[in-house]
Amino acid sequence: MTSTTVEASNLNKAFGEKHVLEDMSFGISPGDVIGVLGKNGAGKTTLLELMLGFTAPTAGAVRVFGHESYNLPGDIKARVGFVPQQDELLDQLTVADQLRVIASFYARWDSALIDRLCSEWGVNVNARIKSMSVGERQKLSILLAFGHKPDLLILDEPVASLDPIARRQFLEQLLTLSTDEKRAIVFSSHIVSDIERLANRIWIIKEGRLDWQGDLDSLKESIVRLHIRGTGPELPAFKIPGVLNVRRDGAFATAVVRDWTPEAQETLEKSASVQVEVETLGLEEIFVELHR
Amino acid sequence: MKAVARLVFTYFTGAPLLRACTFVGLALIALDLYFVATQPGPGEKLWLAVLGLIFLFVGSSLMPVTFGRLARSHSIGVLPGGRFKLLLSAFITILLVALPVGLLSQGMSISGANGSLPELMKDPRVRDFVLGVAALTFTSAVLFAGWLYLAIWFLTSQRNLAGLFKGLLVVMLLIFAPARDIHDFTVSLIWNLQQIAVLWFVFGAGFLLWPRFKAARARRTRERFAGLARVLTGRTAGREFDVLLGTANPWLLVAALALPLLLMVRLVGEVPSAWLFFLTIFSGVTGAFSGQAAERSRALWLRGSWSRAELFVAVERSIWRHNAYVLGALVLVIVWIGLDAEFPPVLLAAGFSLVMLGAVLSTYLGLMITRGLRWPEIVAGVVVMFSLMALGMLAGFETVDLTTVFALEACMIALAMAFRFIARRRWMQIDWMVCRPDRALTARGA
Repeated sequence: MTSTTVEASNLNKAFGEKHVLEDMSFGISPGDVIGVLGKNGAGKTTLLELMLGFTAPTAGAVRVFGHESYNLPGDIKARVGFVPQQDELLDQLTVADQLRVIASFYARWDSALIDRLCSEWGVNVNARIKSMSVGERQKLSILLAFGHKPDLLILDEPVASLDPIARRQFLEQLLTLSTDEKRAIVFSSHIVSDIERLANRIWIIKEGRLDWQGDLDSLKESIVRLHIRGTGPELPAFKIPGVLNVRRDGAFATAVVRDWTPEAQETLEKSASVQVEVETLGLEEIFVELHR
Repeated sequence: MKAVARLVFTYFTGAPLLRACTFVGLALIALDLYFVATQPGPGEKLWLAVLGLIFLFVGSSLMPVTFGRLARSHSIGVLPGGRFKLLLSAFITILLVALPVGLLSQGMSISGANGSLPELMKDPRVRDFVLGVAALTFTSAVLFAGWLYLAIWFLTSQRNLAGLFKGLLVVMLLIFAPARDIHDFTVSLIWNLQQIAVLWFVFGAGFLLWPRFKAARARRTRERFAGLARVLTGRTAGREFDVLLGTANPWLLVAALALPLLLMVRLVGEVPSAWLFFLTIFSGVTGAFSGQAAERSRALWLRGSWSRAELFVAVERSIWRHNAYVLGALVLVIVWIGLDAEFPPVLLAAGFSLVMLGAVLSTYLGLMITRGLRWPEIVAGVVVMFSLMALGMLAGFETVDLTTVFALEACMIALAMAFRFIARRRWMQIDWMVCRPDRALTARGA
């Protein structure tokens, strides 16, 4: 049995002429909680659905528990849970019926867990699905992905339609699930604070490429804002490696840089005779700066 | 009026292809009108008018879809006079589509006469006759186009049993009512105007008052029919695959076909060709359900041990289990009518195989839809349906040699096998990012 949950190499996906994902390589291990960030249309959903085998890569490969995702065998599928961006519930059923239908597909289904979550999340099992609000439907979709206690849980913007209380409950549940070191979780979201709170690894997708992958602390150490102060009335000319953007104002300048190191700071201070203060950025600011 | 005009304009020009159809249709109609006004014997150019009308109708086919979407949207409730303007725009569109029929009928009514229309119209008797025919044709066209749009609306906006049932009823009326008028010679301008007034009053009132009615109905229906709904939709144990695929309860489709079948008994009588014609339509509908199978199978992929090829087989099996009940009901109807009307056994055999063929062809045509509904499937669907209906009518005529019918049926069997082959190949490469309920375009862009 392989120790890697998901492994992708040189993954490419195009729809006709449109290249959605380009040359992505990554690995997901048990215990990883990966937050996927990206602008609308960056390719988040395509990436997640490639992992699920819904679609085939144009080039490269993605393997889930050692098997090619496009041809996942049944025992591997039973170890995967998925919450789609838009629910795929059957309107004519009640919540209890829908739960029963999905549970019947799995050998291990934790009814006690689902009953408890239904009660905690205020999901009425007798309600007919077509009469439920968007948020309630989303809660049910999440429950359907939890019930068989998957080893790989993939969630595509799961909290987009939840109210703040439901969102908090969901995140708490996800935190509980993430404490299981055998389980890997991948979730995309536009709510950066949720990713900051939950994820131990961040993926930032930009124009179909994996622009950054690593843990949150490394990201925060790597992408920083520099406050540069010269000694005279005007700043001397200087060059900063990995600069994302720079703004000059007389003797002062601010710059956002990536791959920043203490050595780079020392070199800049000595070569340009300037003082450099480093400001750590929040994830949201980093995301914005990377897309500026 | 600005909003109404904008809506009508959008219906005819909202998509590039439909815009082209509208302009081609208008050009052909204008050309035919020119011939009507300037040349003697304009009836010979009738094909121009018919072609133009078909183009114009296709050009306006955005109307029922747009109308349906707006009517169900929440925003229509907050737009000033939203529902009324929407209703008015639909009515005007129908008048516009029907208008050329009335105009062109003038040419038809003097077909074969010496002299052009303006010359002939100088005679008051001819003028009265021509204008009378024009008014009668126009009002008939308004009625016919109204029903046709309604059927399109039901069949495209409600992709469920309710939509199918309503669509079937309208299609039956659409085929039957004009035929009866022609047969019984009951059509008159007054009768047409009465029908238009009553139909639009009822439809308009229902449409405008629908939001209030819906709220009250939902409350009452929930209370009254909760138990019945549970019986019809709640049986899931042991048939979960079918539930997710939408094939768990064939009795719903049998029930939805029952009323149109009863109407047929009442309306068609014992004419073999008419019977086979309608039964072929019904059998086609039976299989058409499979058109949603690819979309629905997305939910099944992660929940079973099937490969894509195995999933196709499992889906195929589930659909045929579902169809078997409905086909069984249709075959019983054939036998019952056949015995009652004393149809020859060979004709019954031809009818039986036609009904089976209808279901098989439409099932595999539906299973071929793995990348959303595209032009090739639409064209194949229309061709197959018309071929089956023609074959149904052909089989019913006493003068036709049934060997010919059986030979044509053999060709259709070959076509069905080709459809299955294509469907299976497509399922082997099914891409659920492209094939997902109502999200094909979004998926392609994500």
